[in-house]
Amino acid sequence: MKNEKMKIFLVDDDALFLKSLEIDFSHHTEYLIKTFPTGEACLENLSQNPDIIILDYHLDGIDKNAIDGIETLDKIKAFNSEIPVIMLSSQDKIDVAIKCMHHHAFDYVVKSETAFMRLQKIISTISSYKKMEKELNWYMNRM
Amino acid sequence: MKASKKHDYQYTRSLIEAGLDPLITINFEGIITDINQATVEATGVLRKNLIGTEFSKYFTEPEKAGEVYKEIFEKGSVKDLTLCLRNHNGKLKDILFNGSVYKDERGKVMGVVIVARDVTEQNRIGKELLEAKIFAELATSIAEEAKLKAEDAVRSKQQFLSNMSHEIRTPMNAILGFTKVILKTELTTKQREYLSAIKISGDTLIVLINDVLDLAKVDAGKMEFAQSPFKLASSLGVVLHLFETKIQEKNLELIKEFDDQIPEVLLGDAVRLHQMLINLVSNAVKFTSKGKITISVRLLKEDKKSVSIQFSLTDTGIGIKKDNQKLIFENFQQASNSTSKVYGGTGLGLAIVKQLVEAQGGVIIVESKLKVGTTFSFTLDFMKTNQKAKPEIEYSKLDETNKSFKVLVAEDIPLNQLLMRTLLDDFGFECDIAANGKIAIDKLQNKNYDIILMDLQMPEMNGFEATVYIRNVMNLKIPILALTADVTTADLEKCKAVGMNDYLAKPVDERILYSKIVGLISTLEQDKEIISKVEKIKFTNLNYLDQRSKSNPDLMMEMISLYLEQTPVLIELMKNSLEKKDWITLGAAVHKMIPSFSIVGIHVDFENIAKRIQEYANKQQQEDEIGEMLIQLENVCLQVYEELSEDLDMIRKTKLEKNEK
Repeated sequence: MKNEKMKIFLVDDDALFLKSLEIDFSHHTEYLIKTFPTGEACLENLSQNPDIIILDYHLDGIDKNAIDGIETLDKIKAFNSEIPVIMLSSQDKIDVAIKCMHHHAFDYVVKSETAFMRLQKIISTISSYKKMEKELNWYMNRM
Repeated sequence: MKASKKHDYQYTRSLIEAGLDPLITINFEGIITDINQATVEATGVLRKNLIGTEFSKYFTEPEKAGEVYKEIFEKGSVKDLTLCLRNHNGKLKDILFNGSVYKDERGKVMGVVIVARDVTEQNRIGKELLEAKIFAELATSIAEEAKLKAEDAVRSKQQFLSNMSHEIRTPMNAILGFTKVILKTELTTKQREYLSAIKISGDTLIVLINDVLDLAKVDAGKMEFAQSPFKLASSLGVVLHLFETKIQEKNLELIKEFDDQIPEVLLGDAVRLHQMLINLVSNAVKFTSKGKITISVRLLKEDKKSVSIQFSLTDTGIGIKKDNQKLIFENFQQASNSTSKVYGGTGLGLAIVKQLVEAQGGVIIVESKLKVGTTFSFTLDFMKTNQKAKPEIEYSKLDETNKSFKVLVAEDIPLNQLLMRTLLDDFGFECDIAANGKIAIDKLQNKNYDIILMDLQMPEMNGFEATVYIRNVMNLKIPILALTADVTTADLEKCKAVGMNDYLAKPVDERILYSKIVGLISTLEQDKEIISKVEKIKFTNLNYLDQRSKSNPDLMMEMISLYLEQTPVLIELMKNSLEKKDWITLGAAVHKMIPSFSIVGIHVDFENIAKRIQEYANKQQQEDEIGEMLIQLENVCLQVYEELSEDLDMIRKTKLEKNEK
């Protein structure tokens, strides 16, 4: 099996949080990180085939014309529904979380001190899930 | 020649017969012409009954089997075809086929040879592997769930313990306070006796509750240790003083050995040290009926920065059996079950001492001989310091003060309000009550007070928020004494961080309350000039950032610069949108600001202010309050801006210096 780096897109209009997340990820060499300040910038670069996208829910707070997190999520899913998208938000609200799930987000993480840990855990879940799927397919073919 | 040919044939034949894979030859009509032993075993049909029969009839899908050999005749060979064979018992076997035509010397096709392989076993293993995998995954998820549940259970147990203790403490507070008040009135001897019994039981209960709370805190890793200058010799004196009467009553001898080499002032947590020593000394006194108690404090090691000090406590008491020596450090355990019947106690004391010693990186050991005595000793490291220890106010001095002070009490529970009023009336002080922080601030705006007694947990506006407002918005230097039922050093740090001068644990000891009130007011008067020079409390704390960036100065500078860039813009945006009553933008701006607080280590109280602004903005209400809170937030951010700019310069300089080296 090829041991490629996992390509992760980080999308957030809060430059400070984006940077801190990027720093956290930079301590781990197995990830290749690309950051985008807007949903638009992320969508333009989907052709780079990210393995996972971490997306802020609230992207249109300051710039009213910017597209918000859910719209970006929909467009990512329209481009390739296989890309897992983890939503980020500073609000710990159940309806926000449910909305994200309805729009096929893989998971929902509240911005807090533990956010990065949660993200890491979700990412490893995604990759082990993908690996399992691959192995299962291999067995299926053999049968 | 003929013999060797026959020999060749026999050799080849035996190879074929020995092969584990069935070999079959078939003619044009699909009739089996030859087979090996493996075929006989696979089908379970005798060799003579197989030869001459139709090949395809041994399979679950005869037509497909017929096609297989036809395909071989057409193409010359086939590879890896699968069929299912039914043997004479009706048992099914998965077979993998490879076959090719065979020709005579002139190249004429004579028939096909088929090599079959029984893959039933292989398929079964594959299937089992897959099932095992699915089960393993299932098991993992069940285990994970169980683990989460277990962790939750532990957490809720601790939460329950600490909540319950807390809840019990509040009413106990009132019971004890009023008991003390009644004890001061005229009573008959019997009444006094009964009330004393209530008071003693109450005191015991409070100690127990505090112990439970302490244990829960250490267990949860929430115990923090202060690093303040203190005098070890006088600390020890205070502890021993507490037991003087008891020791005299029991006719014991007390020996104190104090190493003169120990520096006078050390950095550490004097309160916790007291707690540990009190627990050990009280045990020693409790379990010793004759002889002596020796407390010795020795300097073990000393270097430029720190000292290692060993505390040992030796008694000539009942002693502990070797088997039980480990047990005594566990929660709710005593050396034997009969111990509590004879001597009382809950078995928490030593557990707490051990936890406290270990949490500070020390070790505690016990040596004991039954009926001879016991020695407990523990070693702790302390930092050396040049700072002066905080002078302790002596009670006697205070008795001379006859002045009447105006005291504002912020306290929400009516019983406690009444108790405070009774105590303060007793002291001859004037007293006003505010039921929460907001009312306290209102009162402060209309009247001058000498001191505020501030409960920490109140509805509407709690003690921390009120203090932040008094210090930062009203800019008042009035002494604030925190009243808390939840005594931890973490709280103490928080009290200091928001600008409170001191704190007092409930239940309130009236002598300490009196001395603290008088002490705070008089120090304020003395130090009025000094106070202005005292270092400003820092709002930010870069530990978190340092940790996150693994102390990489470039990353830290990047983060700080981003904060400095982003925050003023957001504050400006918030102010503008408040003016325009654009609640959505206000909410969005403050929302975006929220994560930044923890990144640069601003206290969570300010983050909560921001969260409240967001809440109000979302509900489009409390306009006035939003304005006030925004001013508060702006003030904080301005100071944070200055601090961080300085920090940024510092980091840059340090980095340059390092590079030069």
